[in-house]
Amino acid sequence: MILSHFTALTIFALIVATVFALVTKNEPREQFRYGLFVFVSFLAVAFVVGWLMFPLPLSPYRP
Amino acid sequence: MAQGNVESAPQPATPMNMAATLAVCGGGWLVPGLGHLLIGRWIRGLIFAACVFAMFGLGLAMHGKLYDLEFDEPLHVFAFIANIGAGIPYWIAEHLNLGVGTMSWPSYDYGTTYLWVCGLLNYLIVLDAFDIAQGRKP
Repeated sequence: MILSHFTALTIFALIVATVFALVTKNEPREQFRYGLFVFVSFLAVAFVVGWLMFPLPLSPYRP
Repeated sequence: MAQGNVESAPQPATPMNMAATLAVCGGGWLVPGLGHLLIGRWIRGLIFAACVFAMFGLGLAMHGKLYDLEFDEPLHVFAFIANIGAGIPYWIAEHLNLGVGTMSWPSYDYGTTYLWVCGLLNYLIVLDAFDIAQGRKP
């Protein structure tokens, strides 16, 4: 199976956010809100870090 | 059902004794989600099981690597500890020669990370079962 970076990240964030929300919160509303916060945070941080790394040369031969 | 909670069982009035709690934790470690099922938290247990098994299966499908206990590479011990958090699925996969890891596979790194994290999540899940069994959380 080959997943794109974004798909792999999204699935990862979804599962981890679900477990974190259930472990740390007790009320369903709190669980949903915290899970959504963790999920969105994962994606947001990935986008920010991705753009920060964008100008970095990965190789001296990079055009 | 607890008040306003998704749990399928009320909080036990008295905490379980330590032996029973450790048995619940051991079961939860060996079979992800089983600890919560044993203390009557069916919904939570099934969600946890689905999360861990899905992550483990995806990690293997992405050609991730399962680490053995090797002391030649000391840092691999940490990877091994993370991997065995998944419990019995780890040994089943090892027995079936899954999780060999194909470094040239495009999603190898993701797969390996999935396998690590599902084990680490299961440790958290076991601790959650411990807290519930001891009456420390509803």
